[in-house]
Amino acid sequence: MSQPAFTNTRLESMYSRALRLYPARFRYAHAESMRQTFRDALRDASLPRRQLIPLVLRDFLTSIVKEHLSMLRDTFARPALIFNALILAALATGLALALYAIPQQVLRQGANDPQIQMATDMASILERFGVTDGLHQAALLNSGGVVDMSRSLSPFLIVYNDQGQPLSSNVQLDGQTPTLPAGVFAYTRSHREDRVTWEPIPGSHAVRIAAVVERISGNQPGFVLAGRNMREVEAREEQVRQMAGLTWIGMLAVILFGTIAFGWYTRPRTTLATR
Amino acid sequence: MAIATIPTAPLSPAVFAILLSLAEGEKHGYLIMKDALSPQGGGVRLGPGTLYGSIDRMMRDGLVEESGISDDERRRYYRLTNLGHAALAMELARLDAAVSSARSLGLLPQGGRS
Repeated sequence: MSQPAFTNTRLESMYSRALRLYPARFRYAHAESMRQTFRDALRDASLPRRQLIPLVLRDFLTSIVKEHLSMLRDTFARPALIFNALILAALATGLALALYAIPQQVLRQGANDPQIQMATDMASILERFGVTDGLHQAALLNSGGVVDMSRSLSPFLIVYNDQGQPLSSNVQLDGQTPTLPAGVFAYTRSHREDRVTWEPIPGSHAVRIAAVVERISGNQPGFVLAGRNMREVEAREEQVRQMAGLTWIGMLAVILFGTIAFGWYTRPRTTLATR
Repeated sequence: MAIATIPTAPLSPAVFAILLSLAEGEKHGYLIMKDALSPQGGGVRLGPGTLYGSIDRMMRDGLVEESGISDDERRRYYRLTNLGHAALAMELARLDAAVSSARSLGLLPQGGRS
């Protein structure tokens, strides 16, 4: 039994409108052939409409997704475009790391400033007068009271004997004068000075100290440590880290949008003239 | 310029059905669609979108080409290229080996279709 012509025309018209949903390149290349194939199928009495319409509908829904994905792949997955984007992303990452690392190092090195002067001055006094008399002299100069290492931002001094046992200090942590790791003494013994980040309390409530350790030479050798809690410096480092992170995300976003825009602008096109 | 090579992976049912249909000669879209739908063509339910999407990619891969001859300006005819013939032969050999293996395992009757 033949199908009514009006219904065929209407179905063709609906299918033609639906074809507009395919990507432009695909549509220019194949829409007329697809329309003709659908027309041929409608006119073929051997293919029942109850079989044809679900087939075409299902095919339309799956192929439209597939062709749009294919179009996106052709537009944005071009090696030159991806290569350029990756190079720019690598540069942005390097720049963001530098934006973090350079100020972080300046802040960290700056955190040693008063301690260097304090440690060298104290080592000089102890070398000149000997540790016993020198500590007496230094105690006269130092009238600031005992520093709480975990809370105070004041710089402090600790004098250790040659075995690394504390002789005198103006700082306490949990009621005691903390001891440095043996490796720091060993290094300072051979290099005269060491600048370290000392963590007498590790973990989530860590106390970190910017410490400068000087060797005391002479008859009573030992070590002078000048330190200061790094809490404020680390807060500034965290601000720098956040700013560098935001800058990095911003640069990546600009690269992403730029790549999408450039990819879209330079996408492969098929014009009617090339059909 | 990209050099076309024979696909080494098993072909998709749509690509295989199109190659098989065009092995008979030049055909337009609806004839390919009907061939694919028939049991001899693999019973692949190809609609126009999948058909022309596959043809588009097969033309880019150099497996098929437009013949340039048409009985109606709205109908385009396609034919296999040499590469398309080779791809079809390779896929048929692969399927033939699989069928022979299945037959030797007793999964299919001896001596062809029953």
